[in-house]
Amino acid sequence: MEGFLANVGLGLATAFSPVSLLFCFIGVTVGMGVGVLPGIGPLAAISLALPLTYYVDPTSALIMLAGIFYGAQYGGSTASILLNLPGTATSAVTCLDGYPMAQKGQAALALFVTAINSFAGCSFAILLVMGFAPAIAEAALAFGSAEYFSVMVLGLVAASTLSVGSPLKGLAMVVFGLALGLCGTDVNTGYFRYTFGILELSDGLSLIAVAMGLFGVAEILANIGTGAAPALAPRDLSFRAMLPTRAEWKQIWAPTARGAVIGSFIGALPGTGPGIASFMAYAFEKRIAKDPSRFGKGALEGISAPEAANNASVQAAFIPTLSLGIPGDAVMAVLMGAMMLHGIIPGPSFIAEQPAMFWGLVMSFWVGNLVLLVLNIPLIGLWVRLLAIPYRLLYPAILVFICIGVYSASNNVFDIWVVLVFGLIGYGMRQFHYPAAPVLLGFILGPLLEEHFRRALLLSRGNLAVFAERPISAVFLALTLGLLALSFSPMIRRRFRRARAAAGED
Amino acid sequence: MRHDKFAPGTRRGVLAGLALAAATALLPLAGPAAAQGFPERPVTIVVPFPPGGSTDLLARQIAEKISAPLGQPVVVENRAGAGGAVGANYVARSDPDGYTLLMGVTGSNAISSVLRDDLPYEPLKDFAPVSLVVSAPLVLVVNAESEFTSVADVIAFAQENPQTFTHGSPGIGTSMHLTGELFGLETGTELVHVPYAGSAAAMQDLLGGQLDAMFADLLVSSEYISGGRLRALAVTSAARHPMLPDVPTVAEAGVEGFAATSWQGVFAPAGTPEPVLDRLYEVVTAALTDDDLKAFFAERGFMVEGRTPAASQEFIAAEIDKWGKVVDAAGLKTN
Repeated sequence: MEGFLANVGLGLATAFSPVSLLFCFIGVTVGMGVGVLPGIGPLAAISLALPLTYYVDPTSALIMLAGIFYGAQYGGSTASILLNLPGTATSAVTCLDGYPMAQKGQAALALFVTAINSFAGCSFAILLVMGFAPAIAEAALAFGSAEYFSVMVLGLVAASTLSVGSPLKGLAMVVFGLALGLCGTDVNTGYFRYTFGILELSDGLSLIAVAMGLFGVAEILANIGTGAAPALAPRDLSFRAMLPTRAEWKQIWAPTARGAVIGSFIGALPGTGPGIASFMAYAFEKRIAKDPSRFGKGALEGISAPEAANNASVQAAFIPTLSLGIPGDAVMAVLMGAMMLHGIIPGPSFIAEQPAMFWGLVMSFWVGNLVLLVLNIPLIGLWVRLLAIPYRLLYPAILVFICIGVYSASNNVFDIWVVLVFGLIGYGMRQFHYPAAPVLLGFILGPLLEEHFRRALLLSRGNLAVFAERPISAVFLALTLGLLALSFSPMIRRRFRRARAAAGED
Repeated sequence: MRHDKFAPGTRRGVLAGLALAAATALLPLAGPAAAQGFPERPVTIVVPFPPGGSTDLLARQIAEKISAPLGQPVVVENRAGAGGAVGANYVARSDPDGYTLLMGVTGSNAISSVLRDDLPYEPLKDFAPVSLVVSAPLVLVVNAESEFTSVADVIAFAQENPQTFTHGSPGIGTSMHLTGELFGLETGTELVHVPYAGSAAAMQDLLGGQLDAMFADLLVSSEYISGGRLRALAVTSAARHPMLPDVPTVAEAGVEGFAATSWQGVFAPAGTPEPVLDRLYEVVTAALTDDDLKAFFAERGFMVEGRTPAASQEFIAAEIDKWGKVVDAAGLKTN
């Protein structure tokens, strides 16, 4: 305990040094900015900022880059709620209920709630990082490909009722997403699949491009010409008006807590990320809701859970990176690169050897999140006023941002074509009421499912029983079966009752 | 790596360079590229991988060091995809004027061409090497709790249990993959290759005990070796490595003549004028003797090569030949 307090003290001393404070502030502000701008995400921003970190000391560099990463998660929901355009690929889920809230004139409330959710999700995950980072990282190592596969199956099944409207259309769109995920290099054989000789497709379609096309460009296309009324700008923008009522507080705290737990779990598993976390948290809330039909029409739970989850997951993603040197995603890999640029190679002894850096970074998370919270709430009024900008000015600007963002993620002009094509596809889907969120879900989960399924079989020498024999995997599969049984039980019971009634008539 | 040693005002220099690049892009290019006066505008080094990896770090170090003698900013640009082929192809198609260079690696500039028939470029024909900059051995590592304590253990086990011993790699066609295949061929054993999407995921499974072994990057694995999480059984180079003086080479451990390294070099598009190549060779090799860079290399296990353009081309031809034989013998060809 004493050691822990000494470490926290050391961390606070580092995080509160003027230089650290400055870089933390720069990081989170930039992060929030790129989060708000549709298309430009944390990966592009961090990659661009990487060369600049040459000239500052490694702790400050890390604090700033980390701030961009989690700051973007705060900003990402803003455009989702106000314009139905996800600010980052991972905040697409927030469109589902956030935009309907804005349409009802509750934009300020939605933005306020997501700021609180984000802070709560982050706080939970930071506490985990402080208390248990090494232990969690070790536990995550018990997850091999069999376990990953089972978790993904659970996620896919849980999220299969993600959208409102026709379940068949929803399912079809999941399958469409899975099919899109097939494009690229087959990890197991190295063959190019569905790349049509286009080298740029060899790493698959870019998630950012697909998400921005299906959600962003499609939204813009759909509104052009229809003269659609923008979301209602709330008349009253006073602080009191955006504060949730007591009943609303009651409604959001449990989903936020569950979202934070799900997000932290997913975040601590390398190779997953905030997108999956928010999808799973949303799906879980909808599953356990008393009245799932409210989802998709502006349910507070529908923004609380995924926003808490994606923020928790980005904070938890630091666990495997810092305590084992295993970066969970592309953003973490760049962060690790920034450390290596300074001769610090994160590995199992990083926390012990660089306590000032580790604890300084972790305590800077608190500083950064507080800054974000404080920055966010007064800005709500400003964001909401964005709605007053006529679409004919706003939309071209957004299209430009989307193109810049998609290009800068990998310096690839091809991705701009991808975004445009998916914009057209998304527009077509809208016209015929096919939901876009399940496409994204299938697209994110599909490649992971396939990769882990095949690797698990490769490692078990083709023994399918491996999924049931490994205890953690078996638990997740059992949960999946339970979930399936739960969703079919009303139908079965109804049939059973009908059969009995029929038998009684005889 | 100390970070305070760079020339003051360089950041401003980069920004000014970017502005200049934007400005020159609007003007018609002045005259044919010639060595005198080269470079007249910023030089770009394309890294065919995402930022943050070891090739990226190396490129950024070199860019930093050659910028001053060239008198122009040197900008690193990441163009990732297809195991390096996207970035390599981009450079191969660029104007051969020395302003667009590639930080090429074993995969992009040797293995890919023998593994795939459908690559749009040919390493020997489409590139003019500036210099093969560094090389590094791979390390055969197992989990510290593994029962295998020597290369002989691994060979004995794999001979008795064909198709059982698993080794991971960051993907098909990486030097880690092919070194494992070479090991299998030379020892007459059948190992199971488990490809991952990147070295982090493979390392995760090795640490978690899901995988038996990996021919890993020295840079990536050294922290785990010194931290007691992985055991190094052998290095793949012909000689022992100063970072791991007690670890035998694979050849010493009983696989006679075994030698394989991964390498990185600076390449220009084929057709780049010789004076320009010579100028670039001069500044790149001068950078390799810089104290900061020497320390950087030593800390990360890179062995300085600094070969001449001709020697580099010769070396790469030999590499293509060597890996081509492994690809053929192991039946790895795709498409």
